[in-house]
Amino acid sequence: MAKTDRAGDPRKPLISIRNVSLSYGNFQALTDVSVDFYQGELVGLVGDNGAGKTTLIRIISGINPPTSGEVHFDGERITKFHPKKAIDLGLECIQQTIGICDNLSVGRNYFLGREPVKRVLGLPFLDKKKIRETSAKVVHDFGLRDTVDVDDEIALLSGGEKQTFKIARAVTFRNRVIIMDEPTNHLSVRERAHVNELAVQLKQQGLLVIYITHDIFQIHRIADRIVIMENGRKVTDVPRDAMSAEALEGIIRDGGRAPAKGPKVA
Amino acid sequence: MRRFVRRSDLGIIIGCIFIFALFSLWNPQQWFNWGTLSNIGQYTAILGLLAIGQTFVILIREIDLSVGSVYGIVGITFVGLESSNVGVFVAFIIAMLLALLIGLVNALLVIRGKVSSMIVTLGGLFFYRGLIYVTTHGAVTGTPQAARENWLSQLFGGHWLRIENGFLLLLLLAFLCANALYQTRFGNHLLALGGDPASAESQGVPVNRIKTSAFCLCSLFAGLSAVVTLANNPSTNVSLGTGMELQSIAAVVVGGTLLTGGRGTIFGTILGAFFLTAVRAEMIALGAPPSWYISFVGIALLIIVTVNTLLAKRLKLA
Repeated sequence: MAKTDRAGDPRKPLISIRNVSLSYGNFQALTDVSVDFYQGELVGLVGDNGAGKTTLIRIISGINPPTSGEVHFDGERITKFHPKKAIDLGLECIQQTIGICDNLSVGRNYFLGREPVKRVLGLPFLDKKKIRETSAKVVHDFGLRDTVDVDDEIALLSGGEKQTFKIARAVTFRNRVIIMDEPTNHLSVRERAHVNELAVQLKQQGLLVIYITHDIFQIHRIADRIVIMENGRKVTDVPRDAMSAEALEGIIRDGGRAPAKGPKVA
Repeated sequence: MRRFVRRSDLGIIIGCIFIFALFSLWNPQQWFNWGTLSNIGQYTAILGLLAIGQTFVILIREIDLSVGSVYGIVGITFVGLESSNVGVFVAFIIAMLLALLIGLVNALLVIRGKVSSMIVTLGGLFFYRGLIYVTTHGAVTGTPQAARENWLSQLFGGHWLRIENGFLLLLLLAFLCANALYQTRFGNHLLALGGDPASAESQGVPVNRIKTSAFCLCSLFAGLSAVVTLANNPSTNVSLGTGMELQSIAAVVVGGTLLTGGRGTIFGTILGAFFLTAVRAEMIALGAPPSWYISFVGIALLIIVTVNTLLAKRLKLA
């Protein structure tokens, strides 16, 4: 098991991954990974390409079932893996390229999959007033420009604004776990700072935030704990204060040298 | 949303105004003739119904090449059953169930078999057409006189205030479908799936259910279109509906719906069907050889889609 100083933590982990392995055919993407995640925690999940970060997240968000091992959510063992199940449990995965439909308006994206309806002649129609007003309030609370009209196609937003939008949406639907997969790629310096600030705020509100990144220096500034993966295994799991960013970078660099080449599972 | 609605079918709105004005000035006697207009209405209904179904499928980035053959086999089943003694109403129900079944099979092969819809429905195009030949031995009788007088035949094939019922049905269904597409959860999920399937799924959109609905709607509309055709015009033959799949796709695309999915309107599709039908009628009225129509469809398609693409780019930059 992980030898973190949380081993004796009286609180139960919100997500507990126990001896999980996953293979795609002959390729072993994850090997015997055990890690716990707690509520109100910001965990940096770091590692090189193909280290298994994304595979681990795919299991947590119900996209792939593990080949072996157990996943527990809030004390309950998960037996059926399905994205819908993860959504129902209050888990949202924010990815750079997935999550919004460019052809729909900001408001429609905001409520996608959870559209409010009102009955007209007994038939359920979209409650456009609610869609407009609620989404406008939330996106502006999260710092989007006042000129953003929620009836506009979301394609008009910048990359940072789209990330902010996804975070705003994830949070307001009372999610318990927010997974951010490389949330600051291709963002400007200012947008990056804004997204990182939001990640910290979410944690302070009591959510579990799992933050995936390549950038150990960036995550070291904001995370409570750093988990490093390499070649499908967890190699390090330490509280932020236990090691410097430079030392952690050294671990990633050294791990990157040894491995045999396998197909990448990004 | 309202901005985008205005955009994607702008080209066809302009196109329809243009041909309406052109034909009115050029050939007013034949154009402003109730017989011509009601004829155009009837053919717009037939093509429009097919094209509404096709719109749902194209909006989710798929295509249905089987609609011409489905139109044929459902129509011929309908006529065949009318000649037996089950009655017109039962014949209609069975014909529509057949259409629904074909839609389910298409969806099943696309979703579970993971075969591209172009291949699945191309197979359907050949298979159902072949099935017509095999089961009828090439000989199809028309609608019997008794069936033509049945209330259901009159409902789909008759007139109301000198307007073809088929055309009224088209307007009614277009209104319902446009509302379903833009005012309901189903429509929002369908547009989302067409815009970005992975994102739609990540937000909990029931992707398979939406796909199944789209293919079923498409086959049902093809079947309904055949019933409307045969209720109005009792004579038919085994080639019923040949080539209609491409015309329906042309109507959808001319109507501003993008083959890449996620953007389009039912209104545009109806105008697309009207546009193609009106020009064909006018070409015949002006004495152009009917064979020119096929070439015209090709030219109209290229011009309108090019104009649409340019307009979309212009408006996006503005």
